Amino acid sequence: MQLDAPSPTRPLRHRLRSAACLLLASGACAGKATAQSGNTQLDTSTLFYTERGRTTVVEPMVRLTRSLSDGQSFSAQLVLDAMTGASPTGATPSKIAQTVTSASGSTSTTEALKVPVSPFRDFRGALDFDWVRPLGLVTPTTSAHVSRERDYRSLGASEVVSIDLMQRLTTLTVGGGYNSDEVTPIGGTPIGLSDGSVRTQGSNSKRVASGTIGLSRVLTRRWLVGVTGTRIAERGYLTEPYKVVSLLDSVGTPSDQLTEKRPESRSRSGIEASSAYHLDQDVVYTTYRYYWDDWGIRSHTLDFKYRHELGSTTYFTPHVRLYAQTQADFFSGGLQQGVPLPTFASADYRLGPLRSGTLGGTFGFHLPKSPGELTLRVEYIHQWGKGDRGDGETGDVEGPSDDHRSSVSSTVTHPTVAPVDIGTVVLGYSVGF
Amino acid sequence: MASPCEVLIDTDDRSEAAAVVKVAAAEALRVEQKFSRYRSDNIVHAINHAGGRPVPVDDETAQILDYADECYQISDGKFDITSGVLRKIWRFDGGNQVPSERAVHEVLERVGWHRVRWENHALTMPAGMEIDFGGIGKEYAVDRAAAWCVEQTSAAILVNFGGDLFANGPRREGQPWRVGVDDPARTGEAARLQLELSRGGLATSGDARRFVRWNGKRLGHILDPSTGWPVSEAPRSITVLAATCVEAGTLSTLAYLQGPRAEAFLKEHDVRFWLL
Amino acid sequence: MSSHRGVLGAALLIIVIAGMNGCAAMSVHPWDRDLLAEKKMKLVPSPTERAIDDHIYFSKEGSTGGQGVGGGGCGCN
Repeated sequence: MQLDAPSPTRPLRHRLRSAACLLLASGACAGKATAQSGNTQLDTSTLFYTERGRTTVVEPMVRLTRSLSDGQSFSAQLVLDAMTGASPTGATPSKIAQTVTSASGSTSTTEALKVPVSPFRDFRGALDFDWVRPLGLVTPTTSAHVSRERDYRSLGASEVVSIDLMQRLTTLTVGGGYNSDEVTPIGGTPIGLSDGSVRTQGSNSKRVASGTIGLSRVLTRRWLVGVTGTRIAERGYLTEPYKVVSLLDSVGTPSDQLTEKRPESRSRSGIEASSAYHLDQDVVYTTYRYYWDDWGIRSHTLDFKYRHELGSTTYFTPHVRLYAQTQADFFSGGLQQGVPLPTFASADYRLGPLRSGTLGGTFGFHLPKSPGELTLRVEYIHQWGKGDRGDGETGDVEGPSDDHRSSVSSTVTHPTVAPVDIGTVVLGYSVGF
Repeated sequence: MASPCEVLIDTDDRSEAAAVVKVAAAEALRVEQKFSRYRSDNIVHAINHAGGRPVPVDDETAQILDYADECYQISDGKFDITSGVLRKIWRFDGGNQVPSERAVHEVLERVGWHRVRWENHALTMPAGMEIDFGGIGKEYAVDRAAAWCVEQTSAAILVNFGGDLFANGPRREGQPWRVGVDDPARTGEAARLQLELSRGGLATSGDARRFVRWNGKRLGHILDPSTGWPVSEAPRSITVLAATCVEAGTLSTLAYLQGPRAEAFLKEHDVRFWLL
Repeated sequence: MSSHRGVLGAALLIIVIAGMNGCAAMSVHPWDRDLLAEKKMKLVPSPTERAIDDHIYFSKEGSTGGQGVGGGGCGCN
């Protein structure tokens, strides 16, 4: 536990401390008994991310945290993303080669049966600030965020308050945040579910309000559990301006494509339960999250980590993550030509019936005679679709809701979500001084 | 000091560690030789056998006497270095032998710092009275030894003389020192108090081993000079954190002397403490 | 429908955990908090790693992280 003797406020303590100082006549006596390990903390990491045949990202991050003696802390974090590669357009793979035009006007030809992708190169920078001020049992944290990429700008702020109850065995966390984003698609914003020729210049706004409530609890000497609920409301331009939905002819071959269109509001909720259990030396971390939103997507996430101590400052943590989501109501593998268009449609695989599995591990160690801790994390993620959608199958659509019409069933037999292999490497370094 | 003493030094340099331990041990021995009541060749012996005559003291002894005087004032007379003489009539062996009221009354005539004249660098004490630095000496030795260690090295050190500790700073990479306080009356992991100490002094009062039983109650071995009896109903063990070991030790003793009010006393004075 | 089930499940979990008052208070004395004091004993042991993962999965999947609010948007979903 943190040991922090408060400065004497009572006469007896004053007198005793002065007496001790006189007796010892040393510098130590006027000092503060404390457990603070240093005033400044530096955390840096670099993520190397690559998808087979698709995107590659390099993301360096640096974070500086300064703590004051009264427990307040300020931190600033800078994250840069350099992204290149090819991103799926949402067009349906066809048995014949297709030509696809990307948002920036460049063209790419896709071989038969391959997922059409369009190349892109983007750069993003994000700055985050946090201010933590402990006030007895209540600790508010104020945060601000600003980020910028070529076609996207985000500004946000949040306030989260944590309250320690019952001799600090329970912590209640309540918070809210607000983000104001602006999407300015390159080449202009196309009209949804159109051929994309008519574009409006200028930016579109997207506003996100979020709230969270959580409770964490010490159950035994070794066991910490917690549950957090999050609710997010998005309003504004939520469509992907560069993604398309294929129009299919009577035999299911993509013959044309339309820009996708998503609703202008989204209400998302999540509940996450986690646990940390301390064995003799090792610690087991388990997390389960259930998510649902009003676009029809529901997902389960199960995350498992086992931190195995190899020495006093070395450890290895294998990690397994399993994920499954149902598709959005308006998710479509392709729209039937000649049939009236639905209100919304998107073929973005990320709104589709997804499964994903992650397997990896983190190795933490110290360099001899050096301060600071290094971490090396290597992970492999495999993502795939729920399976082929056969004739007449409409996937996990529950039926029409207020705003969305269920997607038109597709008659193609290809998997709606192509499998992806992803590898990530993260190198991290943390030091206090 | 009759207890195991150690110094922990966070360094890879063996010769540095050896040098630090050497100065710490030297200082510990020096303080013990000078202030132990069991020796016949030091200032304490001289004071306790002066037969009522004034005894001039050196600067260091003067400082400790000043400190003892201040503690006496702060504690309204409960912390009294002349109360040691009461141990002659008490036997803390777990049995239930208690002295008679007359015996206690007789000894109490020879207890009381107010009967001592401490001025002009000389101590004058009525014959038959004794001073005992037991409540200050070990903690003082810890702080003094730590001061010497700090001069020898810039590495983080933890001085531990029989459970009275001082750490000058956290270990490398900001790791705190892990300290365990055993409750000798209980066994197993749950009985041990585990702390992460980065800086400061830690002292524990109350000893479950030395006690006497009376009327079904368990009386510890720290004596209350106003009654001549051991303090009763105090917590079995009080551990206090403060900026120095001397301050921590005095606070834990002062708290213990409050008996059943110990916890309230500690809370009232914003003391960082743990009870076992 | 599923939304109500989710909210109900959430409320139930929070009530259960809040109700564990008795268990915790009796078994974890101040001197038993040694293990809990370790840096690795947190529900989110590495916020940096968590942020990286949140960003990766936010870009690749349809859900958002269940922990906390704030942070920023990006054009990746």
